[in-house]
Amino acid sequence: MTEPPHTPAPLIEVQHLRRSYGSVVAVRDVSFSIGRGEVVGFLGPNGAGKSTTLRMLVGYLGPSSGHVRVNGFDVVEQPLEARQAIGYMAETAPLYPEMRVLEYLTFRARLKRLPPRELGKHVDQAVQKASVGSVARALIGTLSRGYRQRVALADALLGNPPLLILDEPTAGLDPNQIHSVRSVIRELGAEHTVLLSTHILSEVESTCSRALVIDRGALVAQGPIGELRRQLGGQRAVVTLQDSRQRALSLVLAAEHVLGVTTVAPSSSLVPPRPGDTELVSSGFTGIARHSSPPPSIPPYGEDRVVSFLVTFAPEEDGVVCLERLVTRLVGADVRVREARLRETSLEEVFRQLTGALDVS
Amino acid sequence: MTGFWAVYRREMLSLWVTPLAWLLLFSFLLLQGISFYIVIDHYAHFTSLTIDQGPTQSYFSSLFIPLSLLLICPALSMGLFAEERRSGTIEALLTAPVSGGAVVHAKYLAALSTYLLLWLPTLLYVIIVRKVVEIDWPVVGASYLGLLLVGAAYLAIGILMSALSKSQLVALMLTTLALFGLFILGIGERVFEPGLLHDICAHVSLVSQLEDFSRGVIDLRRLVFDASVAILCLFLTRRVVDSWRWG
Repeated sequence: MTEPPHTPAPLIEVQHLRRSYGSVVAVRDVSFSIGRGEVVGFLGPNGAGKSTTLRMLVGYLGPSSGHVRVNGFDVVEQPLEARQAIGYMAETAPLYPEMRVLEYLTFRARLKRLPPRELGKHVDQAVQKASVGSVARALIGTLSRGYRQRVALADALLGNPPLLILDEPTAGLDPNQIHSVRSVIRELGAEHTVLLSTHILSEVESTCSRALVIDRGALVAQGPIGELRRQLGGQRAVVTLQDSRQRALSLVLAAEHVLGVTTVAPSSSLVPPRPGDTELVSSGFTGIARHSSPPPSIPPYGEDRVVSFLVTFAPEEDGVVCLERLVTRLVGADVRVREARLRETSLEEVFRQLTGALDVS
Repeated sequence: MTGFWAVYRREMLSLWVTPLAWLLLFSFLLLQGISFYIVIDHYAHFTSLTIDQGPTQSYFSSLFIPLSLLLICPALSMGLFAEERRSGTIEALLTAPVSGGAVVHAKYLAALSTYLLLWLPTLLYVIIVRKVVEIDWPVVGASYLGLLLVGAAYLAIGILMSALSKSQLVALMLTTLALFGLFILGIGERVFEPGLLHDICAHVSLVSQLEDFSRGVIDLRRLVFDASVAILCLFLTRRVVDSWRWG
């Protein structure tokens, strides 16, 4: 993995971070660093330890062991100095319902030790950037979820901290609101270092230059998004065949460089689709194929069925060559191949492979 | 210190823009009004019987005072931490560049100021009484000092209970239980034979303390007791707030 260009001192430096709640280990041995100016996505399924990690970065939770340095300050030893550098938006965007937006932001600006004379200026800037001007005088309790999220964002922006840590900034928003929050985050990336946690992959794809992937408390991958996709996703292809499903599957699995096969719904141009066609058949990454019961909803097509497989090839091989060999093999075995195309791995697939969602249990 | 005053101002705002403080002010003044009426009514009829005790003294040692303290102290302190923890705002508060100690002290001071604001209108009673009888100002001063001390101790117990619970209701009940327990323990002074138990009860007794102060006696032991309770509870509250980081 290539390291992004770092300035001498990274803004966040995390070393062997570990956190347990009683006997449950929520975060184990996580180390990474983030340089100034990066926009980094912190990815993981729900309950993977994203919030716990972010809370340790901002000093809300103490690490069981390991160190976090933000802007050169240890968050445990020099918590106030470290927090001064962070604009943090907690997952639930907690706000005081009885306060007005401007009141709240002024309170937060004071709390963040902004110079008293510049309070108004800082609040105005934050209001503008998070576009909450229209509700500036409204009681927070009367605001919609989207506006609350933006008020919390405005709070994080107060005083222009070099680092923004946003914990699931778009959770619970409607598509329009998600779009507007994302575009705000993209704009912020120009001036701030942003670390943003999410389990929504398109969010990372649309806003971040680099991703950290955490699963069950451990960091399973990190790197620029394109690279993650290439290295971890492998090459994939969709082949649609007309044959008995079991025979087709065993042929595909036996082919060279095939790491895993997933049954997917055949595209509608080939067969009228029905809901619930997707089924996992084998583990893509371990290379061990485990068969499950045949999919219930693939429609009969004469004596044989039309089946589509998503085939994962070994990442070190050329996908085109692999697909060519596979098709040759299938045709040679008298299987009718109705479709064969290479497919770019989506971040979602990378994510699901990394976080174990493709294991069939 | 800016963080301290920011938290203090927000707490005051929160207390007074929501109905809570006003509701407490209303019920508190209602109780005090009844108490004052009874005292005045009493002296209007039986002046000659109670020569050793003036109306202000009766008012400041009346049983209405423990009753209203039991009502207002738990209610004033219940939300300080419990509500922030329930709603999650504590996360935003504790990740701001402000120390846990400043947060605890600012919240405590806000509750104590509100407590004093509730007492403020009762100065009117003193002014009314002044039209009829001579006021012994040191006695009045001592009485208010006593109330400040008791309030300081009780609100510190309240803030500790609020930090220990995630629900305002639980905090309210814990504080009420603790204060009621102290009150009952104090009653023990009148129940037990002289001895260690009696002395302990006498030391804790709210009723005796209010009687002492309402006679103008500022007993250092009372002062030390209230201050110790307040300091201990505030210290424990800080520990509790710090412990959230590690819990």
